[in-house]
Amino acid sequence: MADTPNGANGNVPEKKAEPAPAKSVGDDGLTPAEKKKRAKEEKQARRAAEKAGAGTSTAPVTNGVEASNGAVQPVGESSSQAAQQQQPAQVPRAQPRRPVEQAAAPTSTQHGRNPSTATQPPPPRRRNSQSVLPAVPKPASKPPKPKESKDVPLFSHLYAAQPRPTLLTTPKDIHPAIQALGFQYSTYAICGSTARTAAMLLAFKAAIADYTTPTGTSLARHMTTHFLSPQIEFLKACRPISESMGNGIRFLKKAVVEIDPSVDEGEAKAYLRDSIDMFLRERIVVTDRAIATAAVKQIKQNAVVLTYAKSSLVEKTLVEAHEAGTQFKVICVDSRPLYEGRNLARTLGRRGIEVEYTPLSGIAHAMKDATLVLLGARSMLSNGRLVSRVGTASIALHASHADVPVIVLCESVKFTGKVALDSVVLNEIAPPEELLLPDTTPTTTEGEGEGEKVKTLADWRDIPGLQILNLMYDVTPAEYIRMVICEYGSLPPSSVPVVHRLANEGV
Amino acid sequence: MPSAMNSFGATPNLATFLKASKNNSIESGIELLVSLLQRRQVRNSRQSALATAHLLLRVIGQERVRDVQVLIKRVRSVGRRLISAQPREMAVGNIVRRVLGIIREVAEEASAEPESEVASPSSGGMRELHRPALNSTISSFSPLHQSSALPASFHSRFGSGDSSNDSTPLIQSFSDLSLVEQQQQRPALAAAHAGSLFGLFQQPGSARNTPPVTGTSTPIPSTPTKGKVALNTSTSETIDLKSEILSSIRELLDELDVVDSQIAESALDHIHSGEVILTNTSSQTVQRFLTAAARKRKFTVVVAETWPNDHQATHSTIVNGSRPNDGTGEPDEPFKPLTALGTTVIMIPDSAVFALMSRINKVILAPHTVLADGSLLAASGSSTIALAARAHRVPVVVLSGIYKLSPVYPFDTAELIEWGDPSKVIDYADGELVDSLTVSNPIFDHVGADLIDLYITNLGGHAPSYLYRIVADHYRPEDVDLMSKA
Repeated sequence: MADTPNGANGNVPEKKAEPAPAKSVGDDGLTPAEKKKRAKEEKQARRAAEKAGAGTSTAPVTNGVEASNGAVQPVGESSSQAAQQQQPAQVPRAQPRRPVEQAAAPTSTQHGRNPSTATQPPPPRRRNSQSVLPAVPKPASKPPKPKESKDVPLFSHLYAAQPRPTLLTTPKDIHPAIQALGFQYSTYAICGSTARTAAMLLAFKAAIADYTTPTGTSLARHMTTHFLSPQIEFLKACRPISESMGNGIRFLKKAVVEIDPSVDEGEAKAYLRDSIDMFLRERIVVTDRAIATAAVKQIKQNAVVLTYAKSSLVEKTLVEAHEAGTQFKVICVDSRPLYEGRNLARTLGRRGIEVEYTPLSGIAHAMKDATLVLLGARSMLSNGRLVSRVGTASIALHASHADVPVIVLCESVKFTGKVALDSVVLNEIAPPEELLLPDTTPTTTEGEGEGEKVKTLADWRDIPGLQILNLMYDVTPAEYIRMVICEYGSLPPSSVPVVHRLANEGV
Repeated sequence: MPSAMNSFGATPNLATFLKASKNNSIESGIELLVSLLQRRQVRNSRQSALATAHLLLRVIGQERVRDVQVLIKRVRSVGRRLISAQPREMAVGNIVRRVLGIIREVAEEASAEPESEVASPSSGGMRELHRPALNSTISSFSPLHQSSALPASFHSRFGSGDSSNDSTPLIQSFSDLSLVEQQQQRPALAAAHAGSLFGLFQQPGSARNTPPVTGTSTPIPSTPTKGKVALNTSTSETIDLKSEILSSIRELLDELDVVDSQIAESALDHIHSGEVILTNTSSQTVQRFLTAAARKRKFTVVVAETWPNDHQATHSTIVNGSRPNDGTGEPDEPFKPLTALGTTVIMIPDSAVFALMSRINKVILAPHTVLADGSLLAASGSSTIALAARAHRVPVVVLSGIYKLSPVYPFDTAELIEWGDPSKVIDYADGELVDSLTVSNPIFDHVGADLIDLYITNLGGHAPSYLYRIVADHYRPEDVDLMSKA
């Protein structure tokens, strides 16, 4: 019948570890002491079964499963059954003494069991898989409850799979200039699409200068995949890249790939350096000057220009208009957590421009005074929508409600073929901790006995159900935008795909 | 005075006032409240309403109510002082007007009783005193104007003036014609519902179109009339008047206490499972409303933190639930934070409102004041939320007690906006910015009535177009203009 209870006994702690099915050997192998012990356990199990019999049918099954983890001294087969229960592939061996409902056990390992035949008089054994030990609630050795995810489900596609790199976790093939740049991105020391693009290309210039082609390959083939790509991945891990950065990278890769293999390395690197310079000059520096000049014409005498956050183009425009002698006033609108508007206000104030500074909550009042709204962009989408710092859409909304024209200043390098209808699918999520107020600290666990501990938001990770969302961008519908000024001219938002094809498709 | 100060010398607030009012004289109580209002130490609508109601209770309690007119004058003068202390705190004016309405109503009922079987059209008209119409037009723009479109009977004004002297309800109407009409309709109905069509059948006014010639009717002096009434009834009637008035004011105080729970009662009628609700500020009314629904339904709440004026309180409310009742006038039952009831709460900065609005099912706002045309003054940032909701066709629900509803019609909404501390936006420590910038920090936004879809008050849910009726039910037109010294 049953197998060696002793053998099964010894194996009980490693209940899962038994590879070979423990075969039932006869009862006769039991010593009298063991017999006595077994009988006692049977009795206990019977009592427990009677108690549990009033409950659900699955209860005895569960109990049996759990109890079997302890020391097992069942009648004959049950030890093997106990050992076997973790091996679902086992052929059911002995029949349960008591017909048990087929109701599935909570653990699926029971499914293979065959709980038929009440051939024997019913002792409190329930099923093959169970022991006759009383239903001792097993101390929870189930896996710890997975910590509740603090990601907002609506944006779960935007959360980074890996945490941001730190000094210690930077891969070793990253050039130091790129590494420094990555940290400048993640701390917002360099913030703003244009600035990031320019900084990235300059860092690539430095990295390329230090690059040497390994023997056996050509620069054109090796550099893109083995050198540039890891750097780019690192930058992406620090902060997702923007459209203009993507266009810059595409341009650089194209330039690399087109290098004639016969050209020697020094010349190739010089060529790349010059290409980068040319790209920066043509598509950012000169472009910015052209756009600013065109936009200055939009600022009339005694205008009140409203702007949001800090756009380098808007700043250039306002400085140029001021230097041209136009009298105007600027309203800088700002928001948490980046406070970029404050930096713009500081710069403009230093130049003697009259600046009013207001938080985003004051936009309704500020819009009453405004005569023109100038906005910068992260990118212009091909369906005419503007992607810019989160909050821009509210500005444009109020402006269109108050009939104030909205002009977007945007280089063509930021135009993209992508389209979006909402701010949910394509966006960037920043670490939620940035939204916590600087003077809140998590409540410590000491002194918990003093009754109600007043928590602060810094404890948000411990509060189930609480999530903090820190979006970086939003999408402004095209109908709120009056005009887009790029280096090709002033156009309505619906003409963005045309210019994109013209300017970027060749890239 | 020691009892007027908190033991730690903390900033005086509503609790200070309530404690002090037990001991001090009326005049110093009024002074205390005026200074608390001026210094914004009694801050929001609920606190102001509570303080005003308590003060008026004491004022009336101390008055010897012989003459209702004198009482009304007294309340008006106290009200004037309170309102001028903080004109933008409309709840003060609302409570003053409610109390005046209570006084008038009680007085009407009292004088209507002996007359109740004689409710005849002719007697209906006569009773009120009237003075020459003033040139003030403010009351004529009150929506109360439109609410009672009852025919008036002017003939009775001139004709049988003497016969009903003994049943004068002692109501004065100061301003113009149609308001006088309204007064004439009120008397016979003990419930005094303005705008009830019942009066339509009572008074087939043939002379209704005849405007009264101002100044031709002699003002009936109040004192002798009142004396007549006093003669007719015993002096116990005047004592009853006062206790009636006091008990009605106490009911008003009770109403202020239960406003939030009454609003929260209808929560399950407005929130279904799986909703995503957007709200802002740390308003306890909204939190109670959502908590009441969260006990039975699972939904998600997105909270905009309302920087720079309310963000710390909002953070604290999200995490801790109800504000501790430190005498700030909050009702006593604390409530748990929504997260403790299984609701998912997502906190966002105010800038992300438009970005998320396409995924929001419903917006719930709490106002500072509701104006008579259905528009409201709410925490700054609410107009952005309401506009974004309109752009995405998301319904906007406003939770407000009746005490926040003001009969004032906003001509210049910019006047009603209060401005806050600029150092919350830029710290004074940043010298360069302080020198070169102008910093503005409005505390309130005006949200137009066309952006609101539903008002939920302690009386139930209403469309914005219905608010004028509620105004008419709770306020008297002659009380709308409190500032004229009459």
